[in-house]
Amino acid sequence: MTRVVVVTSGKGGVGKTTTSAAFASGLALRGFKTAVIDFDVGLRNLDLIMGCERRVVYDLVNVINGEAKLNQALIKDKHCENLFILPASQTRDKDALTEEGVEQVLKELEHMGFDYIVCDSPAGIERGAVLALTFADEAIVTTNPEVSSVRDSDRILGILQSKSRRAAEGQEPIKEHLLVTRYSPKRVEDGEMLSYKDVQELLRVPLIGVIPESESVLQASNQGTPAIHLKGSDVAEAYTDVVARFLGEERPLRFVDYVKPGLMKRLFGGK
Amino acid sequence: MSKAPPSRRAIEFRNASIGATVAVLRETRPDRLADELHKMLGGRPDFFSGEAAILDFSDLTDAPERIDWAGLLSLFRRFQLQPIGVSRLPEEYAAAARQAGLAMLDGAIGTAPAAAPRPAPRAEPAPRPAPEPAPRPAPSAAATTMFVDRPVRSGQQVYARGGDLVLLAGMSNGAEVIADGSIHCYGPLRGRALAGAQGNERARIMATNFGPEIVSIAGIYRTFEQGIPAAIAGRPALVRLTAGDKGNTLTIEPLQLD
Repeated sequence: MTRVVVVTSGKGGVGKTTTSAAFASGLALRGFKTAVIDFDVGLRNLDLIMGCERRVVYDLVNVINGEAKLNQALIKDKHCENLFILPASQTRDKDALTEEGVEQVLKELEHMGFDYIVCDSPAGIERGAVLALTFADEAIVTTNPEVSSVRDSDRILGILQSKSRRAAEGQEPIKEHLLVTRYSPKRVEDGEMLSYKDVQELLRVPLIGVIPESESVLQASNQGTPAIHLKGSDVAEAYTDVVARFLGEERPLRFVDYVKPGLMKRLFGGK
Repeated sequence: MSKAPPSRRAIEFRNASIGATVAVLRETRPDRLADELHKMLGGRPDFFSGEAAILDFSDLTDAPERIDWAGLLSLFRRFQLQPIGVSRLPEEYAAAARQAGLAMLDGAIGTAPAAAPRPAPRAEPAPRPAPEPAPRPAPSAAATTMFVDRPVRSGQQVYARGGDLVLLAGMSNGAEVIADGSIHCYGPLRGRALAGAQGNERARIMATNFGPEIVSIAGIYRTFEQGIPAAIAGRPALVRLTAGDKGNTLTIEPLQLD
């Protein structure tokens, strides 16, 4: 059974693509055959984060329009054996996506024996974002600990309830997961940021993880390495926990408490 | 909100909530409206992206001999708005509007979606002769109580026509719930809650966790720009109308639950 997971948020810049890349990589590292699809037609980024931008020949829109076969467009990931990337088109806009076309692509991936399909949603609530979530079985709602992001996530949760195929056909609703990203325990402590508990209280969706704000994410993006591969970094650990929880394992929350830097670190620690 | 499995009938009627934009027209001449729309939307004719629209004539300033419905419809479609009905339309234009395929939506108080459960397909609500819809007598509440099991999210709208509304998972900021009867909210009440929408002054709003943006009963409303009083913020509360010297006033008081 193929599971379709949409990574969505409503708001832009909260870490959807970073999460899609890390989460899909994490599933592949666990041995699942995984595809990650960039739905952000016109503003494609996933290929950059995955470090495969030079290998993009065909894209999602080509496949939907019948200009290329699906296996011509799928790019094999350089880090993981069983991870494949289906990039978006940079030269089209989101109207190039059709519901039938997307459904066809997902069906074909299912026939190819994929265990998980991760859909990286564009920001907003327009066509691209709706199509990314239409066929989802589960949703990871990526939220920053600030009010506008929470409000937009709430809106997207409503759209998941009303516009998905599962909702239209009266099936069991999409399984929702809340992922709080760019979390800074210090700023929460100082009262500048909502705590993950506040966010969860506002959205009332089960929490799947908290990803700390970290400079290594930017570094990873620039190198084209999904953040989960940054051995020893808190971000990689946090994403590994998220994948484990997604697969039904119990993991305690980490990186959510502020630890005061010691004297030595304050004197010499720099950052 | 679980639904029954799809039936095998060739046609099936379900309740739907649609979001529609209300366009309040003070003019009816398509050329004047086109100028205005052009000014408002400038270079973004796709601003509305095919939304449904209800044309509201309550504020009409001119009284033309006839309304150019074909012209109006094609104008709105050009700006990607799809008119589906009219509201508060003076009686003399109603026949032509119906002929143009527009529904009379006066019973539906502007944006409120048709949400009452009805087993049979429904005829269009009869057009009202008066431009101002008179408050209807409140129907018996128990018959049409509407239950919502999942949170009402930002941007969603729920309308319990003709009865009470029971929210079992609360509602978020940016959501709107409307009931002709009372509103009972188990969980946070955070968006806009409008009870007694057809004028029932005995309607109430009860919430276990009070924190709305606006509450209203029979059109008498209150906003909370200065914040919600500490005695009731995030706590159980009751909103009702009380009769006073200067007419009805909205009272909000704590609710003792245990």
